[in-house]
Amino acid sequence: MASVAMVEAVTMALAWELTNDESVVVLGEDVGINGGVFRATAGLRDRFGDQRVIDTPLAETMIAGLSVGLAVQGMKPVAEAQFMGFIYPMLDHIICHAARMRHRTRGRLTCPMVLRAPFGGGIHAPEHHSESTEALFAHIPGIRVVIPSSPSRAYGLLLAAIRDPDPVVFLEPKRIYRLNKEEVEDNGEDLPLDVCYVLRDGTDISLVTWGAMVKETLEAAMSLEDRGISAEVIDVATISPLDMDTIIESVAKTGRCVIVHEAARMCGVGAEIAAGLADAGLFHLLAPVKRVTGYDSIMPLYKMEMKYMPSVKRILNAVEEVMGIS
Amino acid sequence: MKIFKLPDLGEGLPDAEIVEWLVKEGDAVKLDDPMVTMETAKAVVEVPSPYTGKVAKLYGQEGDVIETGKPLAGFDVEGEEGDEVDEQPIEDSSSETPGEDGKSREETEESKPAADVAPEDAGTVVGAMETSNAVVTETISSVGGIKVTPAVRAVARKLKVDLALVIPSGKDGIITRADVESASRNPDAVTPSAAAAPRAAPATGRTLPSGEWEAIRGTRRTMARVMSESHKQVVATTLMDDADIHHWNYGQNITVRLLRCLWAGARVEPGLNAWYDGEQNMRMLHKGMDVGMAVDTPDGLFAAALRNVHNSSAEAMRASINRLKENVNNRSIPPEDLKGYTIMLSNFGVFAGRYATPIINPPCVCIVAAGKLVNEVVPVLGGFEVHKTIPLSLTFDHRAVTGGEAARFLKAMLEDLARPE
Amino acid sequence: MPATVASFKIDYYQFLSPDGTLISDDVPPLAHDFDELMKLYRQMVLTRVFDKKAVALQRTGKLGTYASCLGHEASHVGVGSAMREEDCLAPMYREYGAQFCRGVTMSEVLLYWGGDERGNDFSGPTHDFAWCVPIATQCLHAAGAAMAFKLRGEARVAVSIVGDGGSSKGDFLEAINVASAFELPMVLVILNNQWAISVPRSKQNTAKTLAQKGIAGGLPSIQVDGNDLIACRWAMENAIEQAREGKGTTVVELITYRLSDHTTADDATRYRADEEVDSAWKREPVSRLKTYLSEQGAWSDKQETELLEDAAKQVEKAVAEYQAVGKPSIESMFDYMYGDMPADLQAQRDRALEELK
Repeated sequence: MASVAMVEAVTMALAWELTNDESVVVLGEDVGINGGVFRATAGLRDRFGDQRVIDTPLAETMIAGLSVGLAVQGMKPVAEAQFMGFIYPMLDHIICHAARMRHRTRGRLTCPMVLRAPFGGGIHAPEHHSESTEALFAHIPGIRVVIPSSPSRAYGLLLAAIRDPDPVVFLEPKRIYRLNKEEVEDNGEDLPLDVCYVLRDGTDISLVTWGAMVKETLEAAMSLEDRGISAEVIDVATISPLDMDTIIESVAKTGRCVIVHEAARMCGVGAEIAAGLADAGLFHLLAPVKRVTGYDSIMPLYKMEMKYMPSVKRILNAVEEVMGIS
Repeated sequence: MKIFKLPDLGEGLPDAEIVEWLVKEGDAVKLDDPMVTMETAKAVVEVPSPYTGKVAKLYGQEGDVIETGKPLAGFDVEGEEGDEVDEQPIEDSSSETPGEDGKSREETEESKPAADVAPEDAGTVVGAMETSNAVVTETISSVGGIKVTPAVRAVARKLKVDLALVIPSGKDGIITRADVESASRNPDAVTPSAAAAPRAAPATGRTLPSGEWEAIRGTRRTMARVMSESHKQVVATTLMDDADIHHWNYGQNITVRLLRCLWAGARVEPGLNAWYDGEQNMRMLHKGMDVGMAVDTPDGLFAAALRNVHNSSAEAMRASINRLKENVNNRSIPPEDLKGYTIMLSNFGVFAGRYATPIINPPCVCIVAAGKLVNEVVPVLGGFEVHKTIPLSLTFDHRAVTGGEAARFLKAMLEDLARPE
Repeated sequence: MPATVASFKIDYYQFLSPDGTLISDDVPPLAHDFDELMKLYRQMVLTRVFDKKAVALQRTGKLGTYASCLGHEASHVGVGSAMREEDCLAPMYREYGAQFCRGVTMSEVLLYWGGDERGNDFSGPTHDFAWCVPIATQCLHAAGAAMAFKLRGEARVAVSIVGDGGSSKGDFLEAINVASAFELPMVLVILNNQWAISVPRSKQNTAKTLAQKGIAGGLPSIQVDGNDLIACRWAMENAIEQAREGKGTTVVELITYRLSDHTTADDATRYRADEEVDSAWKREPVSRLKTYLSEQGAWSDKQETELLEDAAKQVEKAVAEYQAVGKPSIESMFDYMYGDMPADLQAQRDRALEELK
């Protein structure tokens, strides 16, 4: 079993599925000979040829529209948006077509495509390269929005995304692409979508997060352990559709919840989780639900980006506030 | 000397290999003169001299791999004195992780040539990736006797399988994905009522008629964890005796006297005012004494530290005891007070009970528990007297402390407690 | 003097003049294949009768907003009849004439405009794309379909239809670009009916033709009289054949005129002169072909009367079918969202079934 970084796990999953499903094609800008700007498709063109791993013209709308057409006509396109900042021209096709294809044709046509995009801050990238706007997609019925937080989940969830009969927006937190490695067996085994992953059991507070923020949240949980506070850590993984049940069960046990996300607060997925708790978890709550998020300001350029993103300290501050109430 | 550190050669690269030096030490160079040819994962690029001056030191030979941000060359520059390091704004920023605000990256003067490491692709066209080869594994959770990885737990949720009813086949009783999938295929094995329960009851799967299972949380949960840890590790032995306090002057505070007598014991046998690390087989004899006082609350038991018992006056001790009581009442004990004590004291006798076998919180090796004050008939010269006594129980970790040490410690305590004040 | 590095010309094709006579002897064989022409004429008339009825249904409260195809019959039938069943059509939202040729039924069109998704589950080739409202996006879907066919080595062609307004959108231009880059087996039809709701062709841009946008992307591009069935059919057959033979995409601009309002919710008299519409009626495709067939002795008044009666019957039957379809079920709001329904949506479905009974 190989130890791989998250970005290598993405490559591994793509290679597995390219090998085992001839309808899978990988397409996007620079995914071929260059192996993707983050090397997520490194070596795939050499292994599978330029009819399976396809460099496209530089036109995001086209990549999305082409993928819809491919998917509807029986292929399984895995398209790459180079950065989430460049994904917006694709929204028309994702929202108006991919998301509703099955529904509006009563199942006559389906759109089993995957749109991969690196997202989030923390790599000192130029402007427009660091935002986290996953909530835009989470709001759209008919698509799944999946965010891995570790090499093993990148592998298993990407396989599941490709195999899913419906469109999946697969957002890869690029800050943790190469943060560490994990032993991942390249056995083609996928992981379930639509469910949360409980990474750590706890009894005093539930910390709910996803993507790169799993790192800071786990670090905060370890720090809390030293203070005698037992924190449960939940990686939401599929932010839409949302598995509220796992979160509510956790809060039923702990009575407290802090939600951590890198994206801005306003209408972030944290708001949906908090609303879900208010709806179905109110009587379990011993304290108000807190959110630790990016600010409702523009993601700064890189000198200040780390100040924008939630830190362990900010998470601990929120936990202290919550623990101090009851 | 001015030290020039290898900049990021354009695309977030972690390092570059020296292909050819175009200058040697002692050469005079001008700003922007060709200085060295470096090979990155993507290209061979020429790096020009950043200064006009004399090349004082080259920090690597041809073929060496220099990490981005590490020294590449030193220069003597006219009119400049002292060692200076080029500013590397990107590098400075990269040292900031969300976890460690403002912590700056360690500066090292010497480069570490790593010629055996192939130049690696930085894996990005913009910025810089945080890269590490550290291999991590995810925690296996173990709740209510169920051992399961996050992934298998997610599979169980997806397949609506109640983990409490799955028979584990993995190593050390871990539930595997196959176990869950097989349980999902044989739904008969899962009773509907149990599957519908929001939270699985511990593995018995039964709900007793007298009550309902509730989750243990907070202090009580910590107590459970600490106690079972202690039970697993510590080789506990308990000695018991009675301290005769017949001769005490009026107005003595029992807790203060108990604290004081602990220090009296430690002066004779410092081995009980100590920490022991069983894994590394090391111990630390403490020079001072912080006492962990057991505090009973409706939410469970914990120990809070009273600091510097070894050099505190009776008044100071009384003050810190009062502060502790207040904090307990307000439920506002600072987290740092919940750890770091060197020996432990339980004063359970304020409620009832004479002797006990108190439990040590590792890494401490000793706990003393004081029982209910009793009047004992004491033989004295020429007859009997009735004296007030405190029953004491001392538990020590026999891995770290000998029976003799413990007995001498106890004896010193009894002697100190026998004093009028 | 600068050297000329590229130049272009756009050919315009017309065989049947507006007065119903052939403009020259150099015409495709179809001009003399009266059996085929009569078949296509019947299709055009059926489309027109249907269209008129659909507008009437809307005006009497039996149909929602409807986009009429009045005047587009030759373009539609030219496209639809030139395609093979296994080819793939990515229409916009008023190409009924083309779709009827491919097996979509009239009642399905009514069902869609009558506010029922089941209309999109049509019985034309089931791989054909559904009606596409977001302008020009269908061009890229056709490109994706063409790419799928090419990757799988299938001898199939994708055809998309976009309007003159839609040709201004990036999707159309990106489709030209990718079709060129990957030599896709596709035909990009610009159905230039002169009006994008209230904005005339002249305001889309000052280019002489819309077809020349294809030249910019490296595609062979032509302009065709979209009211001349013979020219439409001939041009589409050629373009489709080229694509099928692996020679890539052709851009075909069909010049026609939207004789109706944009939709039944629109009033075109607000923005265009009656004179323009009157003059357009003189070029309209149905009477043009009828005149030609009559003059050639291939079509009689009796046949015309019978055709109109038969078309009316077919349309009445379709309307009856449409009206017999009950409301969609509550479940149908949920059941087609995902292949694998998420738990939360299932809960919403359960609740809706209780509350919306």
